[in-house]
This record gives sequence, C-alpha cells and structure tokens, in this order.
Amino acid sequence: MEFSYEVKDSYAEVKADGRLNMVSAPKLREFVTDVIAGGSSRIVVNLENTAFMDSSGLGALIGCLKAARQAGGDLRIAGVQPQVKMVLELTSMDRVLTAYASAEEAFSND
Amino acid sequence: MPSMPEPRRAVVIEDDPDIRGLLVRILVKQGFEVTQAEAGLPGVEEVRRAKPDLVTLDLNLPDLDGLEVCKLLREFSDAFIVMLTARADELNKLTGLDNGADDYISKPFSPRELQSRINALFRRRQPSAVDTAVASELERATEVQLSLLPQEDVRVDGYDVAGVFRPSRSVGGDFYDWYRTPEGLHLTFADAMGKGMGAALIAATVRAVMRSTGQRQDLDSAFASASKTIAADLDSSNSFVTLFHARLDAASGVVSYVDAGHGLALHITAEGLAHRLPSGGPPVGAWAGSAWPQSAIVLSPGDSLVVVSDGVLDVFDSVEQFTEAVLAAGHGQVSAQSACDAIMALAPAETAEDDVTVVVVGRLPEPAAA
Repeated sequence: MEFSYEVKDSYAEVKADGRLNMVSAPKLREFVTDVIAGGSSRIVVNLENTAFMDSSGLGALIGCLKAARQAGGDLRIAGVQPQVKMVLELTSMDRVLTAYASAEEAFSND
Repeated sequence: MPSMPEPRRAVVIEDDPDIRGLLVRILVKQGFEVTQAEAGLPGVEEVRRAKPDLVTLDLNLPDLDGLEVCKLLREFSDAFIVMLTARADELNKLTGLDNGADDYISKPFSPRELQSRINALFRRRQPSAVDTAVASELERATEVQLSLLPQEDVRVDGYDVAGVFRPSRSVGGDFYDWYRTPEGLHLTFADAMGKGMGAALIAATVRAVMRSTGQRQDLDSAFASASKTIAADLDSSNSFVTLFHARLDAASGVVSYVDAGHGLALHITAEGLAHRLPSGGPPVGAWAGSAWPQSAIVLSPGDSLVVVSDGVLDVFDSVEQFTEAVLAAGHGQVSAQSACDAIMALAPAETAEDDVTVVVVGRLPEPAAA
C-alpha cells in the first residue's frame, strides 16, 4: 500500500492506494498521525484506489478518526469503493465514518 | 561476563487489600518481581502483560469466579497458579478437579507454608527452550481459539442446532459459544479484529464476559453490561470485536438478539426466503458511546437462523450475492449440520484467508397431523 498527502486550503488529503489490511493498517495509522502532528487535523482519507479493507484496516481508520478529533479536527473519507462500503455498512461504522463522493466535498460545508 | 539471571515475576490477584499486601511482601522476599490486580479481568490483563512465572489467585473475586479466571489464564499462560480460598471445606473439592491450578492454599495461611509450596513448585519446573515460543505461537493461538468452542452439542426440543469452525492458518478471531437455558438457548457469535494470538485472546475474554452475563434476565441490560466490560478491556489494545448475541425462547420461537457490527445473520424461512438481519450498531470497542438496540425475529416451524462469519463473505462481491448463496446452500438441507457444512463449503479451504464459522439454529417442521 502506498501513502501520500497533500495539504489543501482547509484540509489535508491523504491517499491510501492498495489493500488496507493487517500489514498496511499500522502504516496508515502512523502516516495520518504524522500528518496530524504536522498541524493538519482536518483530514480527508481518499479511498478511491483502496480496493480492499479488512477489520484491521477499519480499526486503523477508526484510530485515525479518534486522533483527528483529539486534535480538534475531524477525519472524513471519500471515494469509497464497493468492498469498503460493504464493510462500513455491515459494521454500522458508516454512521461514524462519514463518506463523501470526493475529497473536495468532504469539508465543503464547513 | 556472567549474565544476570532473569528475575522471576509474580502476579497477585486478590481483592482484599491486606492479604494482597501480605502476599506481595512474601513474594518480594522470595526474590520475585511482583505486580498486582484487585479483580479477575484486570488480573488476566496483568498476566498477559507481565508474563509472570507465578500467579496467586483468590477464588472469590468481585467480577469473575477464580476458577473462570484460572481457565482464562491457562489459555495463554503456563505460569504456576496457586489458588487461595477462605473456605477450608472448598479445598478438598478443588484439589479433586483439574482446574488448571498447580496448588491450593486455604486462608489463613502462614508465610512459611506459602514459601515452601512455591519452592516445591519451582523445583518441579521443566527446563523450556526459548526459541520454540515464537515458533509455536500460532499453534497456541489456534489452540486457544479451539478451546473457546462449545465442547458438546446442544439439544433443544423442537430444534436442530449445529456449528462449524475452520481456523485459518494465520488465526483470525472467530468463535461461537452456546448453552442451554430454561427457556431455550443462548448463542454468542464473535469475530475479534486482527489475527494471531492477540485476536484469540480478545475472543477468550469476550467469551468469558458474555457467559458471565448470561444470568441476567434482561437482554438489553446484559448486553450493555457485557459490552462495557469488553470495551474497557479493548481500549488499551485499540481493537474491537463484532458480536452477535441471541437468546432463543424455544416455545414461542422468538429469537431476541443484539448485533454489534456483525451484520451477517440470516433468517431463512421454511418457504425459502432469506432476510438478512442488519447490525444494530458498531462493533464493541470501536466507538465510545455506542448503543445497540435489541431486535427480534420469530422462527416458525421449518425456519432457521443462520449466522456466518466474514470469512464466507470474502468470497463474494456483494452482500446480496452472499445472501443468495447462503440461502441456496443452507435451505432444504436434512439437518443443521449438513446446512453448516454446505455453507462452509462456499469458502474453499485452499483459498480462504480468514477463519470460517457457521452456526445454524433450525426449528423443526411440525409433524404432519395424524
């Protein structure tokens, strides 16, 4: 899995490309924590190239969300693909992790 | 240069502060590094963390029964366990059973008696190879996981109940548990996040906690209390567990259930329709402040409740496809066991990366009127 990020006007966009599983989940966590520590607490995780997410991957997203809120910001997800959407719905975590069609829309209303 | 021998470690699990203090003093005097816990679940955590050589365990703890704690510890620790009981008459009963404890001492005890018992235990200790620990971890995790499954079939008049479990090589955190109640049956079906020993140990805790709340009449309060305990336990490990817990009232066919983030239970009717039961809230431990509403279905004669783990879901592209396939495999089978086997076969062993678990609770069709 590859990570990259870009700081935009009102948020930082993190891209996580590949499979978000037990191996990559701790790395995503570390990556996002570093971005937050760097001063951006409003995070959009762009999942348009994340084809697969398992329970460890979900755990990492939850951990990142907690970290962002802790820092006074928020974490939102965008570009969610079918398998990831399915995991979010089955686990009812779609009520907590708000999904947006694109990274631009995620923080457009606030 | 001679290497320092590693200090021996001990954990004292005891709710009475005076006795706890005394035990700590005795053990420190014997050269142990000692940590302590005042209840069962924190004690299990402490043993998991400290990896001690010796545990002293009080039989009467505020949260869990000492025997239950002992069983939990045995699932991952090979420390010597010395159980302490205030009742001398319990001693005979205990020593006759294989509880996993190495020795028993009744209170009040003399410090010298405790010391000599402990010395005797350590003289018996077999030398152990250090390197095998890592190599055998997965094997042990599998053992832990298998030990969580019901050891016996459960029989409920008018019903046919079966479960199957196939561990993956990497050991997921699946397990199921069931037991009879006066009304019918309690069923727990869970999947801990992640893989390996960590997931297996979380599963072990969840099983114990769910069992300990089985006495409560009210499902809502039982689940609320259990989830609170589990979440507190999971907080430090940043983990969570999906949990489906159901109670069957055999006479009416009513299945009351709470689904925390599982979402893969199906109600399959006698006519061959499948209704998936959506989860009522996030997995336990995933998000603080979550609540899980109780729901219910009614099993009519010929209906079944089918609970499947995500190891089967992984084979399909969508929940809809999964539901159809489970229905096709499970409906019209001659027994709950054959339905379980057919559903498990949907995830071929060669390709499955995760554990596969299936439980079927079928209400038998009513015999044709004579």
